[in-house]
Amino acid sequence: MLMKLSYLLLAGLTNGSVYGLIGLSLSIIYGSSRVINFAQGEFVMLGAMSAVLFMVTLALPWPVAMLAMLAVVVIAALALDYGVYRPLIRRKAAPLTIMIGTLAGAIIVYGLAFLIWGPDQRYVPPVLSLEPIRIGFLITNPQQISLIVIFVVFLLATWYILYRTRFGLSVRATGVNPRVALLMGIRSERIVQFSFIFSAFISGVAGMMVGPLLGGHVGMGLLLTVKGFMAAILGGLGSPFAAAAGGLAIGMMEALMAGFGTSLYAEPAIFVLILLVLIVRPYGLLGDYEAERR
Amino acid sequence: MLARPRPEAPRAPTIVPVLCILALGLALPLVLTSGFHIRLAMLVWIYAILCMGFNLLYGYSGQISLGQPAFYAIGAYAFGMLQVMLGWSPVLAFLGSLALVAVLSLLIGLPLLRLRTHYLAMATLAFMLIQNGVANRWIEFTGGQSGIAVPPLQWGGEPIGRTGIYYIVLALAAAVLLLHDLLIRSHLGRAMQAIRDDETAAQALGVRVTRYKLRVLVLSGVMAAVAGVCFGFTSLRVDPSLSEFHVLVSMLTIAVVGGLGTRFGPIVGAVIVVVLPQLLTQFGELETVVYGLFILLFLLFLPHGLAGVLERRDWFARRSSSPRMASRTRELEREPS
Repeated sequence: MLMKLSYLLLAGLTNGSVYGLIGLSLSIIYGSSRVINFAQGEFVMLGAMSAVLFMVTLALPWPVAMLAMLAVVVIAALALDYGVYRPLIRRKAAPLTIMIGTLAGAIIVYGLAFLIWGPDQRYVPPVLSLEPIRIGFLITNPQQISLIVIFVVFLLATWYILYRTRFGLSVRATGVNPRVALLMGIRSERIVQFSFIFSAFISGVAGMMVGPLLGGHVGMGLLLTVKGFMAAILGGLGSPFAAAAGGLAIGMMEALMAGFGTSLYAEPAIFVLILLVLIVRPYGLLGDYEAERR
Repeated sequence: MLARPRPEAPRAPTIVPVLCILALGLALPLVLTSGFHIRLAMLVWIYAILCMGFNLLYGYSGQISLGQPAFYAIGAYAFGMLQVMLGWSPVLAFLGSLALVAVLSLLIGLPLLRLRTHYLAMATLAFMLIQNGVANRWIEFTGGQSGIAVPPLQWGGEPIGRTGIYYIVLALAAAVLLLHDLLIRSHLGRAMQAIRDDETAAQALGVRVTRYKLRVLVLSGVMAAVAGVCFGFTSLRVDPSLSEFHVLVSMLTIAVVGGLGTRFGPIVGAVIVVVLPQLLTQFGELETVVYGLFILLFLLFLPHGLAGVLERRDWFARRSSSPRMASRTRELEREPS
């Protein structure tokens, strides 16, 4: 019983780390620009598929492949910033219109990826070994552990950047009020650009690490975007940490529901739970920060 | 004499354009001879019905719902199931499915309309995913992936032909179009726009915000159900693909391309979204990319859509900012964008 529970919790922790990373990156963008990025899952997809391209097709060693992959996602992020966000914000589009714009961006990225990789499921090479290792009585593998480690590392990095640097202060200021921030000499557009790049960075790494576990497919982005949204909404969009916690919660709930209830209905049941949480707490479980500001 | 500033809501525009559209619809089967083209025309009307509901909800009242495809699917499923399982007549099943969706959207709307913008969008999206998940998984009840068959409509023992079905779809679309137009031109439409532009101010002026939001949500749900029923008896099969993402993307594209908060946006948009993929097939594998670029270009260069261009009467005396733009700007300034 206890063993089953701890297995489930480990599986939940791994999946939850992925959702948490996506939720974290979504809320970093939201925090500086008030935009929900529908293309976030596509960054994850690009991360996984670039790993296929650079490590299998071009047979590069993984550190080089990782740099190349990061270059790909950063280019995608810049394209999204210059092609969708900036033109729309300069035309004073409403936040939800920009959201539809990022959806268009996601469709374009998906279309291009489809041209390159085609519709088939691809084998994504693991960066670390998939050999099982034992920790106490738990059997896991380095790739899974590394996901959890990466999640913690990015969480700490985000906290450090946002709350311990001058730059983070200006990021937060832009999120509170871009106009006043601009008056204070903060280049808001640069800040938003940074948030796009940073979040694409996180999602790309998440994609490269989760690829071997999920399998790479050009259509994988959408479901991950949705899970990331739900993570961010469950925790509260306003704070990256709340969003990350939401991701962990969803991963855990999924694992527990599959383990003790029925795995068939695990997914719809999660969405029902999220709906109920939103009804009780309209700004997410940990979302007071944003509610206050309105 | 100085021109008065044009009021934002079209006060008493004529009903003539609506009648023109309907006349075109009536004449269409005379021009289109192949069954495939008639099918496309029916699909245009079905999407137009779906999007008129969304237009009232988001374009005029500012309340986004990404759950419309769920109501669309539930309407279609209910129409089929009530006939197959309970043996209801098609008319009764039609009314039954509308009633079901009305009650359901009321139950969903009561708690959810407290939410705003992104939270509302995500909560309604969750609703769509729940509906889709259940439709896919509850195989004994919904038939799972393969869905359920809808019995063909009959008249005097004979199944109705394709043109007959087209006219039934057209009649329902006409009813929705007239209602859509009537609402927009009435005080209700102005109340909705007041809620969209500033909820607090609207409330201060005596608009019962919650009540109107709920009414519009139920109405748009029912319109989606009408579209679903139409889809049911035109394609004779209902499956979970009705509430999948591509329906949502089509709906948003229609809203953007046609123009949000315009009288004829849903119809113009539906024509383009249904016909365009037929033209895009020549791009072959590039189709998806071109589709995405197309949405983006519309968002950038025609933010009020094609209908927005057509409905702007002062084409030549272009003012720097129309009243609607001004109100949008205000909205943006208030919210930390």
